[in-house]
Amino acid sequence: MALLERSQWYDIARSTEWTPRYVTQDELFPPELSGGEGLPDDIWASYDEPYKISYREYVDIQRQKDAGAYSVKAALERSDLYNKADPGWISILKEHYAAVALVEYGASFQESRFIRWSKAPGMRNMATFGMLDEIRHGQIQLFFPHEYVNKDRQFEWSHAAMWSDNWVALGARHFFDDVMMTRDALSTSIFANFSFETGFTNLQFIGLSGDAANAGDFTFSKLIQSIQSDEARHAQLGTPLLQMLIENGQKEEAQKKIDIAFWRSYRLFTILSGIPMDYYVPLEVREASFKEFMEEWIVTQFMRSLEDLGLSKPWYWDIFIRDISEHHHGQQLGTYSWRPTLWWDPAAGVSPEERDWLEEKYPGWNDTFGKVWDVMIDNFVHGRTEKTVPGTLPVICNVSQLPIVGTPSQTLRDISLVHEGRRYHFASEVDKWIFEDDPERYRHHKNLVDRFLGGDIQPADLGGALEYMGLGRVGPGGDDAHGFAWLDSYRKQLATTG
Amino acid sequence: MALIPLAAHVDGDFVLKLVQVDTDHTMDEVAAAAAVNAVGIHVPEQPGRTMRVRKQGAAAPYERTDTVEKVGLTPTECVEIYFE
Repeated sequence: MALLERSQWYDIARSTEWTPRYVTQDELFPPELSGGEGLPDDIWASYDEPYKISYREYVDIQRQKDAGAYSVKAALERSDLYNKADPGWISILKEHYAAVALVEYGASFQESRFIRWSKAPGMRNMATFGMLDEIRHGQIQLFFPHEYVNKDRQFEWSHAAMWSDNWVALGARHFFDDVMMTRDALSTSIFANFSFETGFTNLQFIGLSGDAANAGDFTFSKLIQSIQSDEARHAQLGTPLLQMLIENGQKEEAQKKIDIAFWRSYRLFTILSGIPMDYYVPLEVREASFKEFMEEWIVTQFMRSLEDLGLSKPWYWDIFIRDISEHHHGQQLGTYSWRPTLWWDPAAGVSPEERDWLEEKYPGWNDTFGKVWDVMIDNFVHGRTEKTVPGTLPVICNVSQLPIVGTPSQTLRDISLVHEGRRYHFASEVDKWIFEDDPERYRHHKNLVDRFLGGDIQPADLGGALEYMGLGRVGPGGDDAHGFAWLDSYRKQLATTG
Repeated sequence: MALIPLAAHVDGDFVLKLVQVDTDHTMDEVAAAAAVNAVGIHVPEQPGRTMRVRKQGAAAPYERTDTVEKVGLTPTECVEIYFE
């Protein structure tokens, strides 16, 4: 049967809409689920999706993408990457899959909500493909780590982490629930598609892809490139809506949505991208520092997309620029110090050569974060292992859910407020601003420390907290990725100097 | 007399840490409790120097013998601990 060219039927199909007769417009598209209050009713038909594709074309392209990724995996399965790769690289895989795979599945629900609740017919159509994208991402990122489960049980966290109360999972869930699962369709497309996907999936999927190829992990490199090719497409879903808001006097609201989502995305990615890029990727194959990746993908490219829309940099731009040189260093110290609380084995990344690299990329590192590592290294090389894991919990931010860290003797400080009798702590002025903008959204959530102090965690000690987070129960917890071999050079120094 | 959690910022550390103290504890005892998980763990030991406690941002420390109750600290409030 002869098929019409897409251009001959697409516009008719996409603009086909119906006028409800038995329910009101608001009953069909409840404002709390659809969003867009204050926008004229006739505006939705003008939504012009930035990409156009038919189902037949979509299936054909996706089949080719899957074939490419799976064939690379099949071809390289016998290469024994697990035993040949640097353990720091294996840790990146464990961290990535567990933090991402089930979130992708959640994202398919996000897109599904667009399909039902978006008032723009063009967006509903394109979100259908976005939903299928995200189902693919969930499936493929569970299937690929499954290969490693029989080699290393920490890979079981790929499926288990997001169902657990591990602190990193709590942080990721809090973030993704906020930006992806609990807002109206219009807001979600700006929070998740425009702000998070446009900016930060590039960082994780393109930034890490180069490192993966350099590390010899062509399977992972191909996989995340394949995923990013979908992200780059459906990330554009929110842009026409942003334009609608701006053109209809709601620029300020649009800017605020971006400012919230941008900061929250950034802080989560200090753990997911920042630590791996600067500490786990083997030194000899690092393409760039986290800061350099941030400057390329976020500071330059994402900001250009904001300016193209007539929007501004977030109000906290100066704070952000300072932060990309320091926050993830504090989080690396924290995750490594509390390594039994992780589902992966963290690499220290602070051998003398690696410290030289850190000092070059982040001038002043040795005199700040390095001094903390000096104390830890001294404990390790003198066999004081009982002093290498703190016996208490860090104070945790009530927005980011991450430990409150800072540059030693410079920027570490508590930012808190008392709201309806409860004290909330924040890891930055921006997190506090996010909370104050909508306290009803955030005030009920209990972070790990709130649960600890509230008696939810028993026994109320580090052991109880590990049990609560599923360490040793859901799957094994973390220890040094390299079996502390990186300390050998320090031991030699000690032997030489006495 | 009751347990009270505080947020401890030991000078030189990179992270705020939870410390459980008693409302009857003196500031010297608060400093000692905070030091357990910071000094010699993440912050160098400084033998012979006294640790003092102050409200975050305050110029002067609390009196060493003042109790938690007396200075009016509330649950999870942040205190700074530093070597004098």
